Amino acid sequence: METILFNAIWVIPLLTVLVCAPISATHSKILKSLHAASATVVLIAVCFLTYRVYALSGTPVDKAADPLMLRFFTDIPWLDVFKAHYTVGADGLNMLLLALTAFIVWAGVLVSWNIKGNQKVFFALIQLLATSVYGVYMSFDLVLFFVFYEMEALCMYLMIACYGSGRRDYGGKKLTLTLAFGSSMILATLFGIYFEGGISSWSIVELSKVTLPMDFQMWAFPLMFMGFAVSSSLFPFHFWSPDGHSAAPTAVSMLAAGVMMKMGAYGCLRVAMFLMPEAAKIWLPYVVALLIFNVVLGPFIAIRHKDLKYITAYSSISHLGLIFLGLAALTPIGLRGASLQMISHGFLTGLFFATIGMIYERTHTRDITEMGGIMRKMPFLGVGFVIAGFAGLGLPGFSGFIAESTIFIGAFQQDSTLTRIVTILAILSITTTAVYILQTANRMLHGPLPQKYESLTDGCFREKLVIVVLVACLLFIGVCPGWISEILDQSIAPIFAKIAASSIPVVGG
Amino acid sequence: MSQYIPNFIIPDALLLLFPFIVIGSRLFCDYKSKIPWRIANFGFIAIFILLNLIPLASGEGRFFISNWRVDDFGVLMREVLMVSAILGMWLSKDYFEHGADGKPQMHQIAEFIGAIAFATFGGFTVVSACDLLTFFLGLEIATIPMYALTAWNKQDQMGSEAATKYILMGSVATAFELFGFSYLYGFAGSLHFNEIQHAITNGTSPLLWLSVLFLFCGIGFKLTLFPFYTWAPDVYEGAPTPVTAVLSVTSKATAIAFLVVLVYGPLAPIQQQIAPLIALLAGVTLFVGNLGALKQSRLRRFMAYSSIAQAGYIMVALLGPATMGKTAIVYYLFVYAVSNYLAFFIFGIIGHHREETFASLRGLSKQNPSLAIALAISMFSLAGIPPLAGFFGKFHLFFSGASTGHYVLVAFAVLNNVLALFYYLQLIKSAWVDEPDGHLTPLRLTKRQRGVVILLSIAVVVIGFMPFLSDNIFAGFNL
Repeated sequence: METILFNAIWVIPLLTVLVCAPISATHSKILKSLHAASATVVLIAVCFLTYRVYALSGTPVDKAADPLMLRFFTDIPWLDVFKAHYTVGADGLNMLLLALTAFIVWAGVLVSWNIKGNQKVFFALIQLLATSVYGVYMSFDLVLFFVFYEMEALCMYLMIACYGSGRRDYGGKKLTLTLAFGSSMILATLFGIYFEGGISSWSIVELSKVTLPMDFQMWAFPLMFMGFAVSSSLFPFHFWSPDGHSAAPTAVSMLAAGVMMKMGAYGCLRVAMFLMPEAAKIWLPYVVALLIFNVVLGPFIAIRHKDLKYITAYSSISHLGLIFLGLAALTPIGLRGASLQMISHGFLTGLFFATIGMIYERTHTRDITEMGGIMRKMPFLGVGFVIAGFAGLGLPGFSGFIAESTIFIGAFQQDSTLTRIVTILAILSITTTAVYILQTANRMLHGPLPQKYESLTDGCFREKLVIVVLVACLLFIGVCPGWISEILDQSIAPIFAKIAASSIPVVGG
Repeated sequence: MSQYIPNFIIPDALLLLFPFIVIGSRLFCDYKSKIPWRIANFGFIAIFILLNLIPLASGEGRFFISNWRVDDFGVLMREVLMVSAILGMWLSKDYFEHGADGKPQMHQIAEFIGAIAFATFGGFTVVSACDLLTFFLGLEIATIPMYALTAWNKQDQMGSEAATKYILMGSVATAFELFGFSYLYGFAGSLHFNEIQHAITNGTSPLLWLSVLFLFCGIGFKLTLFPFYTWAPDVYEGAPTPVTAVLSVTSKATAIAFLVVLVYGPLAPIQQQIAPLIALLAGVTLFVGNLGALKQSRLRRFMAYSSIAQAGYIMVALLGPATMGKTAIVYYLFVYAVSNYLAFFIFGIIGHHREETFASLRGLSKQNPSLAIALAISMFSLAGIPPLAGFFGKFHLFFSGASTGHYVLVAFAVLNNVLALFYYLQLIKSAWVDEPDGHLTPLRLTKRQRGVVILLSIAVVVIGFMPFLSDNIFAGFNL
């Protein structure tokens, strides 16, 4: 029963699209209510299943899903021509990411209530995007994984180019093509994994039991890791993110920054590092060097920007850098920190973009120099923005603090001078983060209120609900992180065991 | 041999008879009669159904009637060719109808359909041949009707120019092929495929390599491989839209079937040795096609470059082992036919009211949202974005190429997909993002157009990930 419910997570959004297809676009109220209802149903289902994963922890799992402790495991032959299976399952990490996605999708549907343009198509695209993200997190078969992973490209371009603002076509193309570039690198290595693995299987569970040939790993790992890192905007592939986010409509920014950028980090961990741990040990120290840009320079760039979305995009770049710092540390604490950061950053950046979108809807500008005194007219939205900012700079009590400190502890345990230096730099860069967040909040929320904003109103009930729920999530993770870590550790343990067991053979001989 | 007619030959014989019936039927009815059209419709669909119904005789599914062989690959290719013929016929119908100005764009639909049937029969012959003579005959039967079809619109200067160009280029290609065949005959001492294969197994000689080179040059023209692709954009643009569609699917399918028969048949023993040549042709062709498409502004020219690139992608599969390569190619041709025809149907609808350029697509998403969605589906499918059929087709092709370790080529092809995605996005942008032009009135679709567009859109979405369609078709076959 729970397995069926689990599989329904990605089916429900798709069904919603089909149900809505024959309804005329003029009945936009009915359409929107249907989409909101479906998002809520998925949210409730995912929360229930997350609780079940927590409750079931420690109990034995299905034999087929053994080393990964997968719950709700489903394995059905799908495309026999190349032996692809429909394999899905839940461990702690992906269940929490699913929960994050469900929250963000739900919030995304609510904040785009008044989007301009063809609403029917827009909401259908949001649901398709949701399907793709759910699918990525659920699937344990590489073909299925890739199908869902690449599906996002289809929705993203249309949503940004048709419903965005500013340089929408440019931003949309840049984002879509860069992501497609990343996924093409992944696809090229996937074939290698299948044929070099020697067991003719695409299943992550099965492939984790074999060791891929070392000379294959040596070229495939960097290709695949960078392929995934493109969508997490790791330097030097970060350039799509500011333009893409600023052009996108609010809901798409939320989904892109909140969940899609995590797909890359998740893929790095789940596919690249998990299947090729030997090469990971060799290559990851070089990745740490790249992080100097993300973590240290990202916040500095954010200081210089005037556009709210650019600021948030660069803040995302720096926060995602921290995820990679945790991954590259290759310690259990580092991996746990990285996973926590994925979830925490998802909520906080969702909140960020949601409040920015709501403010933009009223002021029609995102330039912070043109704003001022917003707090007087929109106290609720202002507070929401400030909370997101504080969570972002790692204020204790919010999720950011837990995640970041775990990453720093984990990374510092790594016995490498470079990693330690980068960790120290990363810790110092929190100050820079504080600078741009406080500066933005100050310029935007305080000071004299321009004449033209006299008539602005605070958020309506729908908007307040979104903010309250997202803030509650941030606080929940921040105040009781133990519960989350306990769920996460179930899934991190097997991954770390595999990495720890691998030994670096002598390359070249 | 002559005691009975084996049932698998019925569709072939019917298709050979079919054009005569359709064209002959015009003798008995008046100029505006719809009877030839009805007969054509019924005939094509009946042949397609027969192809699906007639079971391959149990056992190995491989027969010889003198020089005629029907194997599993042949049957599937026949189905691809028939799908293409049926869709081409439906697409062409509008061009023979009386438009707003009271004059149809083209005349003599019966002969038009007859020509398509002949071209299709040529494809049938290519996949059934087991000696060089039949093989060559098939290729010519498939090509010569296309010359006539290209110039079907007599008022159009561009069409005549395109046809002239096509004939000249095609003749050169034929010469190349004949030359290659003659050397192959000189090398093996026989026209029969089995004996050629046998001779090659016993040893190679420079004569063989020369002949292989000539054969690839010859087919390179027809398959629009680099560096023989230059005729394609002009011909595709000059020909009437339905002919362009048939050209891009039937002709291409016949040409690739020719290569498949050759590479996995007589040349099978030296597949490893000619792999670098195939890989080079594939890589360069898809790169050149993609580059060429980047800056196009006319729809049919754009589709020409896009189909050049697709030819390159298809070539990648030829590197794999026989079963995998054949499966991949047949499957991709199905997918390609459906996606391409969807695009051409939309272009055809636009072409009836406006010029066929990117600018005419402006505001499509506002005026005809469903058409814009169909266009996006077909473009994303051609670009290979999952879950649409095009992705699974390309996945098949790359899978076949990678199975023999050609990772570099596969990586190159996959990266080229990004380039391809760029120009397909350009087209989608015109339809979805650009504001409508004031003087472009919304398009009005006839019932048939709407039906076909919906049918094809659903097909493109569904045939990819529905396992029963890709697996079970192939499960019963030993390709």
